[in-house]
Amino acid sequence: MIRVENIKKYFPIKDGFFNNKSGDVKAVENVSFEIPEGEILGLVGESGSGKSTLGRAIIRLIEPTQGNIFYKNKNITKLSDSEMRKLRKDFQIIFQDPYASLDPRKKVFDIISQGLKVHEKIDKNSMNQIVEEIIQDVGLQKEHLNRYPHEFSGGQRQRIGIARALVLNPKFIIADEPVSALDVTIQAQILNLILELKKKYSLTILFISHDLSVINQIADRVMVMYLGHIVEVANTSNLFSNPQHPYTRSLIETAPQIFRKNKKKTLLKGDIPSPINPPSGCVFRTRCPNPGIDCKGGNIEMGLIEIEPGHWVDQCCANCN
Amino acid sequence: MNSENLLSIKNLKTHFTVGKSVVKAVDGVSFNLEAGKTFAIVGESGSGKSITALSIMGLLPNNLAQTERGEILFDNKNLIDLEENEMRKIRGNRISMIFQEPMTSLNPVYDLSYQISETIILHQKKSKEQARKIAIEMLDLVGIPEPQKRIDSYPHELSGGMRQRAMIAMALSCNPKILIADEPTTALDVTIQAQIIDLMQELQKKLGMSIIFITHDLGVVSEISDHVMVMYLGNVMEIAETSELFNNPLHSYTKSLIDIAPQISDEKREIKVLRGEIPSPTNPPSGCVFRTRCPNPGIGCKGGDIDMGLIEARPGHWVDRCCYESSQT
Repeated sequence: MIRVENIKKYFPIKDGFFNNKSGDVKAVENVSFEIPEGEILGLVGESGSGKSTLGRAIIRLIEPTQGNIFYKNKNITKLSDSEMRKLRKDFQIIFQDPYASLDPRKKVFDIISQGLKVHEKIDKNSMNQIVEEIIQDVGLQKEHLNRYPHEFSGGQRQRIGIARALVLNPKFIIADEPVSALDVTIQAQILNLILELKKKYSLTILFISHDLSVINQIADRVMVMYLGHIVEVANTSNLFSNPQHPYTRSLIETAPQIFRKNKKKTLLKGDIPSPINPPSGCVFRTRCPNPGIDCKGGNIEMGLIEIEPGHWVDQCCANCN
Repeated sequence: MNSENLLSIKNLKTHFTVGKSVVKAVDGVSFNLEAGKTFAIVGESGSGKSITALSIMGLLPNNLAQTERGEILFDNKNLIDLEENEMRKIRGNRISMIFQEPMTSLNPVYDLSYQISETIILHQKKSKEQARKIAIEMLDLVGIPEPQKRIDSYPHELSGGMRQRAMIAMALSCNPKILIADEPTTALDVTIQAQIIDLMQELQKKLGMSIIFITHDLGVVSEISDHVMVMYLGNVMEIAETSELFNNPLHSYTKSLIDIAPQISDEKREIKVLRGEIPSPTNPPSGCVFRTRCPNPGIGCKGGDIDMGLIEARPGHWVDRCCYESSQT
């Protein structure tokens, strides 16, 4: 469905009187992956790891610096804006903050129908029908269409955001931390709703989250991202039962759990380094619990190798083990 | 009840008057905090966790909030009756607090030296130089590297985790008996959250203070606390020792929370759901406040003659009467 090859995104830093370029924020570095049709791919990592930038670069909401993106085997990287606009209705995003992502001055009906007005030439009656159907699909009622966003709770707003994303019958959804701002009980409701709608609308989803336990519940396959690099990819059960990268292991061990099987906890030292000036060699070495001597060298190349079918780990750490 | 109780709260009610209606944000909360122990308060947004904490600290505006009934006993004094100048001697000194958002709770225009020293100079009558020395020791204690240099930093020069460490240093600088932590790790990344939890446990061992830890995350509760109180809509649903609560939950709300908490497991599990949302506190349900979302509400729960209130179902394990009794029949 979606294939991404060696995608990079650098944001230039401009400084001084002449706005000279003084460096780059290396947000995404050489990332390649595929999402088969109907899959929920989880993307997990800390803030600053480049998750959201990657999500946006895939659908060209920000232009990637380098690399190719294929949608249904068609290279969409170089499409012109007008060609891209026709494809836009196939891609939708569900955002994290249900307060900031809805226009406070528009009624729910207008928020949801906006996409239809832009992309589909249909009359008012069929538009009403589509919107009314979708609002019920996300668990709200027709009466809600005439209200403004401030009249809703956080969970209900997120449902409106989902309805807006689905109204054009998209194929590919990027869910960018859709439950992080919600209470636990509401979080479960929204996750369940996403799974139901995924079946009904046969969606393919890139699910971005910093919360491993949420990813564990919803994703078919997981990518772990650190400082712009993918450090491990595997299907969900494999990743959680047999994590290979020390970063993945630490994330799993430190995730707070009610019933913890394994009492061992490997704390990571310090904070995630700045993407302006990432560590030489292996980017993870400054926080690694057992860094090897080799990890520091300038001849280390980051890159994934397959250690068992479908399970990819960064080669530096795989060799280290 | 117990001589070791450092803080004892009895039937605390904090109500706000908004226009003509009364919001019962905290409606009859009682619990005891033992010396050197960690007591967790857990619940959804709007359950009254933070208002309970702010009531203890006396930080709510008098014109809006009325903490009319109830007792907050600390050091043989009822904190509710204290005058503001007496309360000021306790606040920040004997009982201190850290907050969720370390960026907004630190003052951006002062450096750390000034902000940490301020409490020490005020409460411990130290000179500026002595206070600065203590502040540096505190930064060292909370694991901030190069404290002599960092002491002159401003909050925006620190990362989120470092800011929360600085907040903890400030809160602990007068060696308080009680530290109230209101969602201290919620705004942080998982790896940083683990560092802060680890730090708090280590400091508790070293300094022997009691902690009231407010969170919505049951996973964090099980990592850090000795006792747990589950709140819903201003009422206490259940209080027990942490392992007892998780292994033997009695209230249907607690059971639901445990059921739906995301757990890391090797197999994919079905996502369980608790329907509905927390009702508005201006117009709480009659009878049992939880009945509108309860998976198995009894017929009796609706009636106006239901009294919310805890009973001790097992030694040290308290649960709301209505829910417990309807589950027994």
